[in-house]
Amino acid sequence: MSFLTGPMHHHLEGHKDLTAHKDVLILEEPDDLYIPLVNGRASCTPLVQPGDEVKVGTKLGEPVDHWYVPVFSPVSGTVVGVEKRMSAILKPTDHLHIKNDHKGTSVRAFEPFDYESATREEVLEFTKNAGMLGLGGAGFPTFMKYSKPENIDLFIINAVECEPYLTADYRNSMENASLMKAGALALLKLSTAPKGAIAVKEDKHDLIDVLNKTFAGTPIEVKTVKDIYPAGWERTLVYLLTGRRYDRLPAEAGCILNNVSTCIALGDAMINGKPITHKYVTVSGDGVKDPHNVYCPVGTPSATLIKACGGYTAEDCLLIAGGPMMGRAIPNEVFVIGPANNGLTVLQNKEYKTVKCLRCGRCTETCPSGLEPVRINQYEKIKDLDALKKLDIMSCIECGMCTYICPSNIDVTEGIRRAKRYLTLQAKK
Amino acid sequence: MKLTFKPSPNYRSSQTTTGIMFDLTVCLLAVTVFSVLYYGVNYGASYGLRVVIMMVSAVITSLIVDAIWAKIQKIDIKEGILSSYSWITAMILTLIIQIDVSPYALCVATVIAIVFGKLVFGGFGQNIFNPAAFGAAVIMSSFAATKSADFVTAATPTTTAAAYGWIMNTETFGSYVTQYGGLGKMLLGWYPSSLGSTSAVLIALCGVYLVWRKDIDWRLPVCYIGSVFLITTIIGLIKGAGLWYGVFNVLAGGVMLGGVFMVTDPVTNPVSIPGRIIFAVGCAALTVIIRLKANFPDGVLFSILLMNMMTPAIDKMFDGNQIKNAADFRNKTIICSALLALVSVLVGSTVQAKEVVPEPAAPAAVEGSLGSIDFSANNVEVTEVSNDGKTAVYSCSADGFGLMNNMGAEYGRNEVTVTVDVAKGSVVSVALDNFGDTAGIGDTATSDDALAGYAGKTLNDSVDTVAGATFTSGSVAAMVQAALEAAAK
Repeated sequence: MSFLTGPMHHHLEGHKDLTAHKDVLILEEPDDLYIPLVNGRASCTPLVQPGDEVKVGTKLGEPVDHWYVPVFSPVSGTVVGVEKRMSAILKPTDHLHIKNDHKGTSVRAFEPFDYESATREEVLEFTKNAGMLGLGGAGFPTFMKYSKPENIDLFIINAVECEPYLTADYRNSMENASLMKAGALALLKLSTAPKGAIAVKEDKHDLIDVLNKTFAGTPIEVKTVKDIYPAGWERTLVYLLTGRRYDRLPAEAGCILNNVSTCIALGDAMINGKPITHKYVTVSGDGVKDPHNVYCPVGTPSATLIKACGGYTAEDCLLIAGGPMMGRAIPNEVFVIGPANNGLTVLQNKEYKTVKCLRCGRCTETCPSGLEPVRINQYEKIKDLDALKKLDIMSCIECGMCTYICPSNIDVTEGIRRAKRYLTLQAKK
Repeated sequence: MKLTFKPSPNYRSSQTTTGIMFDLTVCLLAVTVFSVLYYGVNYGASYGLRVVIMMVSAVITSLIVDAIWAKIQKIDIKEGILSSYSWITAMILTLIIQIDVSPYALCVATVIAIVFGKLVFGGFGQNIFNPAAFGAAVIMSSFAATKSADFVTAATPTTTAAAYGWIMNTETFGSYVTQYGGLGKMLLGWYPSSLGSTSAVLIALCGVYLVWRKDIDWRLPVCYIGSVFLITTIIGLIKGAGLWYGVFNVLAGGVMLGGVFMVTDPVTNPVSIPGRIIFAVGCAALTVIIRLKANFPDGVLFSILLMNMMTPAIDKMFDGNQIKNAADFRNKTIICSALLALVSVLVGSTVQAKEVVPEPAAPAAVEGSLGSIDFSANNVEVTEVSNDGKTAVYSCSADGFGLMNNMGAEYGRNEVTVTVDVAKGSVVSVALDNFGDTAGIGDTATSDDALAGYAGKTLNDSVDTVAGATFTSGSVAAMVQAALEAAAK
């Protein structure tokens, strides 16, 4: 098929060695934490008042609607109040300000849970109350994903981590294999699938060994994928593992997917009774002096992490929440690490000389969604509504491949975003 | 400390458009060096130098045009030149024309190709037609008369193949291809054609390099050259030419050069992969049709120009999601490609082999005094039969039309007996002993009347030739000259 469509993926230089084999830096907990009151997609109402004492594991907030993902305190200390701060999606968002007393007194958020003896419904209920959400970046509530699985024949654990620079999932998996096993088996039970697969890049030999040992004797098989981008995207991963395509949800292809960090978090919740309060965060890139994976509480401001990694290497940098392909460059340091963040990429700001499009079609060959970015950009310039509709631009996930691959250094992805905004605007009229 | 905002992604591949153009320049230089070597070694230093002069003048012209255009557009001249990449156009244009095109015509064509083929459309990336093919079309249509007679090479494979009607049986092909050293030598490229189009091996290596560097889409040269091969092989099988026919059609003319450097021009071919496949197959189909049925010696340039016109339509045909429309696009690709190839095969299979009469070698011009004419080509032999001091009789023989043109076994030498008056140094009579040329044509020069015309002629007299039988006339005159010279000794 790739003779007519192109590969629809591309190998990226990962720069993973900057952080992959270094010890994880355990961050000294900051004095002030700002817990985002938006967990995943749902905003929460705070359950605590200013002046309240909180402990590690205290439930801080609960969502108002059915996107039920409660928020728990990562530290012990005093609630200062609710503040609006710039978030990693560049919107002012409510954050709960907590003054850390560094005592670390904790309270059990919930009792440890035996998934093996529990029914599927009980596991689902536990996942909901423990505030589990997709930690790969999307932040989709886990219990919703598993609420009504139908005809699922493969449960996929995504340990691909295809964004360049990021190694947080890799470090997390290497260090917490037993938690991962428990979480994965619980999710396998939720998925109703007869078997599972854990997908990992073929070049991560040590992780493959660990996974093979961990999952020996379970229905979960270790599957390797090529070191390509975006192998970790749901559609690409399902296609790589099963050869199937689907229209809207992976369930149409009989698959259900979760990130490996989600498995570990669920394992941690079931075995240790700990909610998602701490994160492995990769701080890497040529813009930071001492790249590391950092273990830090949720609510840590990015400035604290950069400082812990030696600060910036240049006067003009890009601070990116996430990896360099899909992460946003944030022009301030106040945004905090949320439950779904797993990386900060700091790059020196380089100017790229843009020349005219030579219509080489590399963006078309490599687009994982099978779109024609060059045509979309052409029609966006002349605002041809019908042509844009035909080009199926809403299938674009903004993975950034077209801008990456463009030899003329054109911001192709940004052109598609403009086209999407234009189309949305026209649809409203 | 400053944190900058830029839209994602903030990660770029190392490949740049300027890098692609640099790779292309290196490959085109390699082809040029081969051309300089071939012409320099085979035809002399002046020919090698000619290739260099043509290449340099075209490239300089392109740089000047870009500089002037940048000045008009009020942009930095260096920036203008480096973002227009017109030297590539100039290089390809030089490589697809022949050595007898004057550098003046080449420079004018370069200007027209770059200005009207590229810049007026909005410059690099905006042009509809392949600018190099555009320029070559200008040369073919407007500068045919400026060909230099100082740089003459043997006829190119495409011109001679056109004389055969582009189809030959295997035996004829065998003797035909030996003038280019056989298919093996054609593969290496040691034969005259357009400057850069000969060495299939070198061009294929360039293609592999460009594909490896991801500068060109491998599907284009593979589909183009492969389709030319398939279509002509089928035509060859239909016409009973043999399997060599497809190979020959790929090696001859500009198929290899066009396939690697021109069909792959991303600016003027479609952006979608199915579109590119149809584009390449369409170019191949038209190349074969134009080559076999039209008056041009080769079809590569015009096939590319014609398919360039189709590019917007082909792009439109494959707009949409390549995954969701996969089955539809696959069917369209298969149907379009099959139709194009079929039409080409049908048209191509109507070719008729032409009887090739080798062009006769020129007979010596029988002008001026008989003693001053050079008849060395006739291989005259003279035997003295008798000489009594007054009258001498010589038996002479000489090659005529048949032997001088290798017409075959039924031809032989012409033989006459010449009687000379030794004192006067003049011819008494000429008698025909054997006639070896074409009966009904050459024998008008050996009729009794014609031979009687030599009576009384000396070496200082001029002789008449018989119109329509110049070879035989020359042959007789040569023998008379030899007899008179023998008598004078």
